[in-house]
Amino acid sequence: MRYWVVGEFGSGDEAKKALRRLRELGYAKDALDAFSPYPVEGLDEVLELKPSPVRWLALLAGLGGAAFAYVVQWWTNAVDYPLNVGNRPPHAWPAFVPITFETMVLFAALTIFFALMFLYRFPRPHHPLFELESFRTASTGGFWVSITTETREETEPVLGHLRELAAKKTSVVEEES
Amino acid sequence: MAEGQASETPTRDALEPLPLIAGAQSAESLTGSLLSPLQRKAGRVWWALFFLTLGGTGLFALAITVTLVRGIGAWGNNIPVAWAFGIIDFVWWIGFGHAGTLISAILVLFQQKWRASVNRFAEAMTLFAVMQAGLFPLLHLGRPWVFYWLVPYPNTMKIWPQFKSALPWDMVAITTYLLVSLMFWYLGLLPDLAAARDRATTPRRQFWYGLFSLGWTGSARHWHHWRTGYLLLAGLATPLVLSVHTIVSFDFAISLVPGWHSTIFPPYFVAGAIFSGIALVLTLLLPVRGPLGLNHVITDKHVDILAKLLLATGLMVSYGYLQEHFFAWYSGDEYEMAAYAFKRSGTWGWIFWLQMVTNVLVPHLFWFAKLRTNLVVVWFAALAVDVGMWLERFTIIVPSLAHDFLPKSWEHFSPTWVDFGLLFGSMGFFGFLFLLFLKFVPPVPISEVKELHHELKEALEEKAKRERTESALREKEA
Repeated sequence: MRYWVVGEFGSGDEAKKALRRLRELGYAKDALDAFSPYPVEGLDEVLELKPSPVRWLALLAGLGGAAFAYVVQWWTNAVDYPLNVGNRPPHAWPAFVPITFETMVLFAALTIFFALMFLYRFPRPHHPLFELESFRTASTGGFWVSITTETREETEPVLGHLRELAAKKTSVVEEES
Repeated sequence: MAEGQASETPTRDALEPLPLIAGAQSAESLTGSLLSPLQRKAGRVWWALFFLTLGGTGLFALAITVTLVRGIGAWGNNIPVAWAFGIIDFVWWIGFGHAGTLISAILVLFQQKWRASVNRFAEAMTLFAVMQAGLFPLLHLGRPWVFYWLVPYPNTMKIWPQFKSALPWDMVAITTYLLVSLMFWYLGLLPDLAAARDRATTPRRQFWYGLFSLGWTGSARHWHHWRTGYLLLAGLATPLVLSVHTIVSFDFAISLVPGWHSTIFPPYFVAGAIFSGIALVLTLLLPVRGPLGLNHVITDKHVDILAKLLLATGLMVSYGYLQEHFFAWYSGDEYEMAAYAFKRSGTWGWIFWLQMVTNVLVPHLFWFAKLRTNLVVVWFAALAVDVGMWLERFTIIVPSLAHDFLPKSWEHFSPTWVDFGLLFGSMGFFGFLFLLFLKFVPPVPISEVKELHHELKEALEEKAKRERTESALREKEA
C-alpha cells in the first residue's frame, strides 16, 4: 500500500519553493514529485534529476543505424550481387550516403520515442492521482507537489508541512497495489 | 501567477508593436479557449466542407482504382514524358510538408518563441502532405503492389534493390520523414491530449483522450525526459527536412536530362519547398483561426512573420531561377540552352511566365508592413504561391522531358482526367484529414502557449523591476 500526499500551488515557482523546503526537511528525492501543465524551469535541479539517458541511447542508435544501412548497401550491391551499370563501381560510396543518413535519423528517432515510452512505462492510462477530481488541474493550470509514503500514519505530518507551505488544496490518495 | 485571475499579457514594447498573445489571458483561460474547438459541436460549415472533401477523397479513390486496374497508361504519360503529373504532385505535396518541420523543429533550435502557436498546425499539415506525397511514387511504380521489392530482404528471387538508383533513396527518405514527423507530432501532443482528457465533458471523450494521452500526468520527471527527447527529435528533424528535399532533387539532378542535371537543385528545391509550405500554412491558417476562436494566440504578428518568411524564401527561389537560366547560358551547352529556351517560349511558355508572376513578383508585396497584415492580400498571395509552386514543378519536369537531345524523340504531353483526378482527389483527401484534425486534436499546442504566456509575463515583470531600480538610482543621483 502506498499513499500519495498532494498539495496544489498557485505557480511553478511556489511549487519549486515548496519542493526545496521539503528536501530540506529530509524527504528523499525519490518520494517527491511535481505535476505541472508545462515544464517548470529549475525543477530538475531541486529533484536532482540526472540528465536523461535518452541522449546516449539516441546517439548509439543513430550510429548503429548508419552502420547497418551502409553495410547492407555495400554487401548487397558490391559483394553479394554486384551490378555493373554504366561501369560505375559496385562499391559507389557517394550513392550510399543518402540512405545511410536517413536510416541514422530513423533509428535515432525511433529509439528516442520508444525509450521515452519505456521510461514512462507508457501506455499506463491509470494513475492513482487520477482518482482525485481536483488533480485534473495538473494538466490545465495547476501546479501540484506530491510526496509518497508507505503508511497512513506518515501522511499526517506531510499534510501539515504542505499546509504550512501554503498549498491551496491538499489531499491524500491511497494507491491500491 | 494566480490561477483563474485574468492578468494583462505583456505586449508593450516599442520593438514589438504586435502581440504574440492578445488580450488578458491566464493559464486557465488559455486552456479553455484552446480546447473549445474540440468541445464544440461541428458547425454547418464544417459539415459542408467535410462532405466536399469526402467527395474529393472518393474521386481520389476512383482515380487510384483506375490506375491500378488499367495501369499507368491511364495517365497522360508517354515516352519521352514518362514522368509527369505523378512526380509533379509528389514533389508539390512533399514540399508543402517542409514548412511544418521548419516551423516546428528549426525554430525550436533557434528558440523562436512565436512558433508555439502555429507549430501544431504546421506539423499536422506536414503529416498529411507527406501521406499524399508518398502515394504518388508508389502509384508511379506501375506495379505498386510489389513496392516492397525496394526493401532489402532475402527473397526467393535472390535479388537485391539497386541502391545506386534514386528510387530506394526516395522510399527511405519518405518513410523516415513520415515516421519522424509523426513521432515528433505525437510527443508534442501528449500533454495537450491529457488536458483534453481532464477537461472532457462526456465519458466518451474522456475515454478516447485518456487512451491517446497514454496516462500523461505532467510529472516533473516526465517533463525532464520529454524536454530532452523533444529537443533531440527537433535536432534530428532539422537535417532530415533538408536531406529529404535534397534527395527529391537528386531524382532529377543525378540524371543527364538537360534542365535537370544541375548542382543548384538541392538548395533550390529546399528553398522552394519551404516557400510553398509557408504559403500553405497561411492559406489554411487564415480562414480557420477566426471560426476556431484562435485570434488571440495566432495574432497578426504571426501572419506578419510568416509573410516575411514567404518573402525571404521567395527571394531564394527567385535566385534559384536566375541561377538555372544563367548557368544554362554560361555553360555554352546548346542542349541545355535549348531546353531553357523551350521552357521560356515553347508550348508551355505561358506556364513558365505565370510561375514567374506568382513565385517571383507576388512575394515582393511583403516588403510593405501594411500588406503583410492585410489578411486578404496575404491569403491571395499565399494561394498564388501554392499554385505557382505546382507550375514550377511542371516546368521543371515536363518541358525537359518532352524536349531533350533528339528532335526525333520530342513528344507533346497532355494530361488525362485520371491525372487531374489524382491531383484534385489528393487535395480532397488532404482537406478531409485536415478537417478531422481540426475537430479532434487541439490545433494549437496548449502547454507551449501557456509556457510562452508565463515567460512573457515574467519578462515584463523583470523589465518593470529593472525600470524601478533604474529610476530609483537616478533619483538618488539627482
